Amino acid sequence: MPAAASEMLVGASSDFLTRFSPFNRMEPEALEFLAERATLAFHARGSEILTPEMGQPTHFHIVQRGKVQARQLGPASVTDYAAMTLGPGECFPIGALSAQRPSTNAYVAVKDSFVFQLPAEDFLKLMQMSPVFHVFCTQYIASLLNQSRQQLQSTFAQRAAEQQTMTTPLGQLVKKEAIFVTPDSSIRAALEKMSEMRIGCMVITDAERKPIGILTQSDLLPRVVLPGIDLQRPIGDVMTATPHVMSASDSAYDAALEMATHGVRHLLVVDSEGRLKGVVSERDLFTLQRIGLRQIRSSIEGADDIEALQRASRDIRQLALNLIAQGIGAEQLTQFISALNDALTCRIIDLARARHDLYGIEYAWLAFGSEGRHEQTLSSDQDNGIIYVCPEGADQAALKSRLLACAKEVNENLAACGFPLCKGNIMASNPELCLTLEEWKGRFGDWIREPDPQALLNATIFFDYRVLCGNERLGDQLRAWLNRTAKAYSNFLRLMASNALQVAPPLGRIRDFVVEDDGTIDLKKSGARLFVDVARILALRADVASSSTVQRLRQAGSRMGMPPEEIAALIDGFHFIQLLRLRAQHLDTEHDAPGDNCIDPDTLNELDRRILKEAFRQARKLQLRLKLDYQL
Amino acid sequence: MNWLTRLLGTRTDTASLDAALRDAIASWEALAAPELGSAHFETRYVVINTEATGLDLDKDRLLAVAAIAIDREHLSPQDSYYAPLEPDAATALTNLLTFAGKGPVVVFNASFNRSLLERALDEHLGLTPDWTWLDLHWLLPALYEEHIDGPARLADWMKAFGIETFQRHHALGDAWAIAQLMQAAQARARALGLNTPRSLADLEHSRRQLRRHG
Repeated sequence: MPAAASEMLVGASSDFLTRFSPFNRMEPEALEFLAERATLAFHARGSEILTPEMGQPTHFHIVQRGKVQARQLGPASVTDYAAMTLGPGECFPIGALSAQRPSTNAYVAVKDSFVFQLPAEDFLKLMQMSPVFHVFCTQYIASLLNQSRQQLQSTFAQRAAEQQTMTTPLGQLVKKEAIFVTPDSSIRAALEKMSEMRIGCMVITDAERKPIGILTQSDLLPRVVLPGIDLQRPIGDVMTATPHVMSASDSAYDAALEMATHGVRHLLVVDSEGRLKGVVSERDLFTLQRIGLRQIRSSIEGADDIEALQRASRDIRQLALNLIAQGIGAEQLTQFISALNDALTCRIIDLARARHDLYGIEYAWLAFGSEGRHEQTLSSDQDNGIIYVCPEGADQAALKSRLLACAKEVNENLAACGFPLCKGNIMASNPELCLTLEEWKGRFGDWIREPDPQALLNATIFFDYRVLCGNERLGDQLRAWLNRTAKAYSNFLRLMASNALQVAPPLGRIRDFVVEDDGTIDLKKSGARLFVDVARILALRADVASSSTVQRLRQAGSRMGMPPEEIAALIDGFHFIQLLRLRAQHLDTEHDAPGDNCIDPDTLNELDRRILKEAFRQARKLQLRLKLDYQL
Repeated sequence: MNWLTRLLGTRTDTASLDAALRDAIASWEALAAPELGSAHFETRYVVINTEATGLDLDKDRLLAVAAIAIDREHLSPQDSYYAPLEPDAATALTNLLTFAGKGPVVVFNASFNRSLLERALDEHLGLTPDWTWLDLHWLLPALYEEHIDGPARLADWMKAFGIETFQRHHALGDAWAIAQLMQAAQARARALGLNTPRSLADLEHSRRQLRRHG
């Protein structure tokens, strides 16, 4: 009887499997399903079983005998493990199969090995039919997520190598021994050393090796050559004092961000005691240099007219798309977009200011809404305003009209650079939004004391302000006053909370997700906003100054005694939704296209769908907390 | 059946079998011969193993047959066959033919297995298959001389590869181990440029010659 033979062999396979977890705990019918469908293959020592180049894996593998090594591709030093050895009973590639994307590891037989394999579709069926196996795979994936909490997306990013590079601590990027001189060394001696060592900058340190200055090649022309400085003079006379310093434990991302924010090409890396460890140059951050972050930054700073800034704006957009394609995390991505958009806006303001006489006026340019929260996506329109001080005895009307005229030009130029004018006229050129510190306090105070629906809506936009350029102190003063006042009016916070609970996470009881009529989920309305709204209330209650949702959750959460893992999980959930939003916009390049922010969950792969579900659960948890706090 | 009936050659005539078996044999005979020049990964090898009352070809008789396919280098538990000869040897052997098709077939120690099986097939079905037989007894030492450089017992080869099976000395249990050895043999053969069933047959042939003359 043919049946008798296959029963015996299937029995032999399942006997083997039950010697290992999770198969020993698996439901009998699931185990049988697996044993019936698993075929055995031989892989000679040294042969590749699965590599990223093979594309989406077609089989799930379980080692029967022998040894298989999983090799992480890319720089070895940046992950917890460079190679991991799998023996009998161990299986791969769980993450890649669940996500239906190519494996990030190469699996190579390091001994002659027999390996069971199960077709990918049977692997997915097995996950459905066996809760035990499902939990096993989910936990495995969760442990992967844990390993790269900073890089939530790394499990589905295909180009893991590049992004991993950017998490490398700067201490590891510093290759060469630090070269430095003391400030009393002659300029000639320093230049000779630079030329001899072929380095682009010289660090000046004190006797304890703590950096106090830097002189770069590009400083030589304006500071040494053209003024015809005597080369015997001490280098301390021409160096740039208080150079940009970063800690050895900061990541390459941090360095790239710092370079982009301050427009510098070299950063000094110091150890925990502040002593010079080495220099990181832009060239060291090669992946980003290829993207051209620095070029965009310098083209913004060098721009003299709107045409040049329009080009820079297109470059920022292109950069963002490249970074998305590379699988960069949402947090870093929004920070980059935000840093570059800030630089662009500041340059536009500079150009406008040159044509408008604002001499002697103390003011700050405010960004509201998502820009205020550092959470701009590619389709945010402009939300801005001005806060200013009217000196005693000054003609306020004349002063304000000067500010408004300048603001109008800024608003128009921002629109020309791809930030659409705000349909609700939330713009600095609106006289209602160009106010003194006292007027802002009055406006905010009205909303807090009489929280009608419009006031509550306003609060969700304007309370997320931040100073983009100008006098930051004005923003700080307003923030301190706002937090104090909101806290005193508990009814206001309660109404804010009840407002924030109007929309529930789209989690279904039967199906995974509750979708709109067109089958999509609005990731802004029923995703990101759930986190943003609760974070705002927590920040007001816990007196957090930051306007960023992540910072608000982090700081308020820890002040309120939430366990760090819980906070981290909330933040991961929020980042994931933001990342999906950015990816959705990746395709719709028009501003405010109707499809923006909407995603059809059926188009997501299994892993993304599962993470999205988890993200919504985090939102529900956050809402539940609010509900309990305010007994709503 | 005793030694006397065997001696007298009371072989069955195909005509005396029932219609269903005759049809099965006819369709087996109608199968095309396998393409011995195609690659391992395109070939369905059938590992055949037997179980007998003992190891003496003259005295002992066949108790059971087992077969496992290695289809395109993969072993599937579903693609297997096992049958005792009692009570219906003709059906057991006909089904083996249907399972194995036209081969190529793989055995461990053909001098015993092949002889025993051919005799039973002739006796009960009145035919001798024109299979290409590959004998791992000769092939393994030719391919893996770093393990064992001459003909050796199945147990030694299983030990060399760390292969286990669920039941030793059972036709299917041993076939499961032999099939895994065949997978290892295929991989090594491929690495040596021996990509087809024919090249394995040639290797086995030259080994036997060497052994005879050396």
